[in-house]
Amino acid sequence: MKHLRTGVTFGIIGGFLTFLFGGWSVAVIGSLMGIGLGLGLGGKFERRDPLKIALTVLPTALVAGVLLVALSYYQNSAVMDAVGKRPAAADIVFKANLIGFLGAVLFTALLASLSGLPEKQERMAKFVLLALLVIVFPFVDKATALRWTAQIIFALIFVILGLGLNIVVGYAGLLDLGYAAFFAIGAYTTGILSSPQHGIYLNFWLVIWIAAAMAAVWGLMLGAPTLPLRGDYLAIVTLGFGEIVPVLFKNLIDVTIKEPLTCWIIPGFIRLFGAETTMACITLVEHADLTAGEKGISPIGRPILPIIGEFKSANPIPWYFLIIAIILLSVFIIRRLRDSRLGRAWMAIREDELAASQMGIDPVKTKLAAFAMGATFSGFAGAFYAAYIAGIFPSVFDFSASIMILCVVILGGIGNINGVIVGGLVIMIADRLFLPALKDFLASLLTHTVLPSISDPVVQLAVKDNANPILYRFLLFGLTLVIMMAVRPEGLIPNAQVRAEMHADEELAAPAKAEG
Amino acid sequence: METTKKKINWRGLGTLAIALYIVFLIGPIAGLDVPAIAAAIKANPMQLIQFLIIGISNGAIIAIIALGYTMVYGIIELINFAHGDVYMIGVFTSLTVLSLTGTLESKDPARIIFGLILALVIAIVVGATLNATIERLAYRRLRNAPRLAPLISAIGMSFIIENIGLMWAAQAWLVPSFGTTGGASQKVFPDMLGVLFTSMGWDVNLLASSGLALRFTIKDLMVIVLAVTLMISLYLFVQRTRLGKAMRATAQNRDAAKMLGIDIDWVITATFLIGGGLAGAAGLMAGLYNNTAWWFMGFRAGLQSFTAAVLGGIGNITGAMLGGFMIGLLASFSDGYLNARWTNAWVFAVLVLILLFRPTGLLGEQTGQKA
Repeated sequence: MKHLRTGVTFGIIGGFLTFLFGGWSVAVIGSLMGIGLGLGLGGKFERRDPLKIALTVLPTALVAGVLLVALSYYQNSAVMDAVGKRPAAADIVFKANLIGFLGAVLFTALLASLSGLPEKQERMAKFVLLALLVIVFPFVDKATALRWTAQIIFALIFVILGLGLNIVVGYAGLLDLGYAAFFAIGAYTTGILSSPQHGIYLNFWLVIWIAAAMAAVWGLMLGAPTLPLRGDYLAIVTLGFGEIVPVLFKNLIDVTIKEPLTCWIIPGFIRLFGAETTMACITLVEHADLTAGEKGISPIGRPILPIIGEFKSANPIPWYFLIIAIILLSVFIIRRLRDSRLGRAWMAIREDELAASQMGIDPVKTKLAAFAMGATFSGFAGAFYAAYIAGIFPSVFDFSASIMILCVVILGGIGNINGVIVGGLVIMIADRLFLPALKDFLASLLTHTVLPSISDPVVQLAVKDNANPILYRFLLFGLTLVIMMAVRPEGLIPNAQVRAEMHADEELAAPAKAEG
Repeated sequence: METTKKKINWRGLGTLAIALYIVFLIGPIAGLDVPAIAAAIKANPMQLIQFLIIGISNGAIIAIIALGYTMVYGIIELINFAHGDVYMIGVFTSLTVLSLTGTLESKDPARIIFGLILALVIAIVVGATLNATIERLAYRRLRNAPRLAPLISAIGMSFIIENIGLMWAAQAWLVPSFGTTGGASQKVFPDMLGVLFTSMGWDVNLLASSGLALRFTIKDLMVIVLAVTLMISLYLFVQRTRLGKAMRATAQNRDAAKMLGIDIDWVITATFLIGGGLAGAAGLMAGLYNNTAWWFMGFRAGLQSFTAAVLGGIGNITGAMLGGFMIGLLASFSDGYLNARWTNAWVFAVLVLILLFRPTGLLGEQTGQKA
């Protein structure tokens, strides 16, 4: 009964989520809730008999499951009426709730009991379970018609972006506020190299590497002049860069390049002395439309694999596995980088630049490497994004995208790969699934309850317009940054080293207080 | 000394020539088409002076915002990203005050003057309070944390305030002229000074009787006079008063200042209050001058003002004023002769160039503990 509160919290949160999505969601949410609850509780036990642990957590799991199902039934019976929707599929209610309940209880017990196994087996078992979950998810999603996979793919794109930014912010300690610019460069490289815009149709599997290289080159070009300066200036320069790049892609629609010497410098001089000239003007490019401006580039070529054929937008499953593969590759590369000489140099620079340079680390080169590596991963993400959406528009890559990626890194945990993955999933699922569903839910709830009782049309409109959680989504991102910095600067799943750094002043302050 | 003066730096000149060539080669994409510009100036030389006037007026506004950046940076070595957005809130505050007091529809000169003064006072108070609140909530507890932490907090704050502005601009019940198009679009800030002058029977253009093809309006005069007054009073305040001295001491060495009995927290709060007040005043001025209110204007203005502060030398109050006017002129000429769509890119290019060739700015930086 010790963990009853955790069970109640999980059950209520899960139950309210079913309010928003309805249908089969209770089955999926129940299972996911069970996994989360099991993992969370598992860490609290000493290593002993798995069966005993399973029995100990059973009451908690039952409480969570009962609450979930109770709320879900309430949703089906009462809430649906309140928001003016009849349950669309009444016949699945019983089945979905049963599966949700069983999933919640069984997964909690199973995952919690894993912590009773020896450490090596525990890790192995968790890994296998996680891998199964990742593989099974899109098929379950398809079978239950929830259509979450397409949104999860966006979350996974942001996971890659977060992993890349984590190299810059987390490992090297450089604040990059225009990271979306590199994302844009990757996406536009893909767009230009495989679309009818210029009649170039390169293979996606080649373009993704070109996009990554292009982003890295731009990272070097931006970093080379600014990285030798103090860190704050990097923040403002990247901020400016992030602002300029979308403008650039928006405005590169009528490019004319004339060689200046022949076109006006020499003729101008000659004319200055009163003579007439008939010098030929060399024109390199005239009225070239490079990026199609606001219209965006579309359609963009898609990846093709031998057995699967061309990836289609109607079927998200191949895309899902492609992005999972890119993430696995990225995680592998980043882990190797982190443990390499370069990675250790990054962290040394982050902790104390002066000391690190005294130990023979070249700070500028090391930072530049971090900047370029970070940009590379956003190039991958950009290429994938462009191919997945099959169209790119400059407005996607503005300042708010950079802030979202920064939020992913800060929320999950600076300098921690697992943290960044969790942060990306949490933030993007909240943004792409939770908030829109909440908006629909609130809107229909208001039209059926509060709004008819307000007589003044101005107030009615004001209430209706302001009760839209999508309006506040960016506010939430800003709040995430400020609150995380104030309360838990090391993130939800911290890296031990970063945590020590972030709280260094408290350690210094504590003895002083004791003396005083 | 003598020998170094005589020696010509051929390598430097070569680099400069190549850099210039590249600028002239690629520049036309962003509007830097030299023959076209020369033709435009030749066709209408008065226009050059006109852009000069516009540039100085806009530069005055940028300079006032830049003062807030530079003072805060001088004292706690933090880029207060939210500062530009405090300015934006200043615009919205004054517009709301003008709307709520009924000044926007009024034609009575006394009422307009009263409304404008009230709007100025409230914008200053709101800006100062907001800026000090930001410091208290987001920066104070991170003063000794790694440098990354307060910067992230600052950008978060900026984002929060921008989105408050976005929501504010959607509240048509508060300011009817916002309309029902949502908060994202640019809103009109009515030209109250023009209305005031017309209602008093005077010509808005002060140069109308001179017969020149120039416009130097009451708006230009008001912005420049107000800005210069504010700058001189700030300069005198920092140089002559006790609190100003405490600010300079804190900027030079915070620990030593503390030992000498200066209340550091109060000095920093006062710095944020003054900076925020200036931003609020700049908000009203910009609204009256440019006649727009937009939730994202703080971001752009912030980027330009910070560039101005760096151009003049960060931490240096005179430098911020100089930089502000220079950036204002650059932006005005870019709008007029190059291409308005590329103005921000040019300002950004200037920022990178200063950082490359003269990172301490034109007048040198004045900060204490080095990063």
